[in-house]
Amino acid sequence: MIHCKGGVMRGGFYFWLLVGMLWYLHTCVVQGQEKPGFMLAAAVQGSHQMHGSNKNEGNDFQHVHALAMDADGRTLFLGAHTGLFRSDDSGRSWKKVTISATRSGFDVMGVTPDPRQPKTIYVATHEAGVFKSTDGGTTWKEVNTGLGGTDVHGLAIDPNEPQKLHAAVREKGDGIYKTTDGGGKWTRVDDGPQGELKVLTSVNIPTGMGGIFLYAGASTGLQRSPDCF
Amino acid sequence: MGGLPTNRTVNGFAIDLENSKTMFVAMRDGLFKSADAGASWARTGNDLRNLAAVTINPKKRDEVYVSTMDGTIYLSADGGMKWKKQR
Repeated sequence: MIHCKGGVMRGGFYFWLLVGMLWYLHTCVVQGQEKPGFMLAAAVQGSHQMHGSNKNEGNDFQHVHALAMDADGRTLFLGAHTGLFRSDDSGRSWKKVTISATRSGFDVMGVTPDPRQPKTIYVATHEAGVFKSTDGGTTWKEVNTGLGGTDVHGLAIDPNEPQKLHAAVREKGDGIYKTTDGGGKWTRVDDGPQGELKVLTSVNIPTGMGGIFLYAGASTGLQRSPDCF
Repeated sequence: MGGLPTNRTVNGFAIDLENSKTMFVAMRDGLFKSADAGASWARTGNDLRNLAAVTINPKKRDEVYVSTMDGTIYLSADGGMKWKKQR
């Protein structure tokens, strides 16, 4: 039997139950203990979709989805509707990164550097799943074995065990997938948070049951769940 | 979890890897910071709006970057208080 302790969220559960905003199928408190499943972590109702808004014609990015810095603190990576970009001068100038020699036009939804290996970067794409680079972004390979779909909107790496990642898949095969071997194989572990997911992050806050928390930014606000799926 | 605007999408999220209780949320309404693992939030960088993403330099933890949805980049060297446009 799984037991998770989540002090911050416990008090808010009953309130959000009343306003009907809990992701009730997977969020529950049993005898005062938080079980796996995303809970609303911010007061949000409804959603504001960003696609199509605030476009700056002529901008290389069109629409930005993600921003991340490598473990060395030298290179910024930016995921956008028009692909993956990198900056080595603190964001002043950007160069497009080629993810695939045979395909282009990837909508990069997430960028996730390995916190211990500066050369290892993962990206989540709207069209082609997850890519991994182990040479600082020069070359990439698809790491999608086991993923039920290729529309990946969030990618979280465990700061304590960087070989463990969670990916949020939308549309076909939607749900949260987990790998424990750096993307070698993925297994579906959960339905995921309510609403359209925008960002997924593993946060080194112990759940009290051996795992840590996953935070999800979504159209329904900020949610979190123990990662002990 | 007070302090975050209601009825809004959370577009970006970042944590300080050395102190996981320090978090940022990037939203259309701006940037919000928590120092207590999300129990409470306060706006920082008052002029920032339409944010898509946020990240923290893991080697310089006071160095925070945000991007607007259309790709304007801002940098803070003091943990999110003052901001400089980079692009």
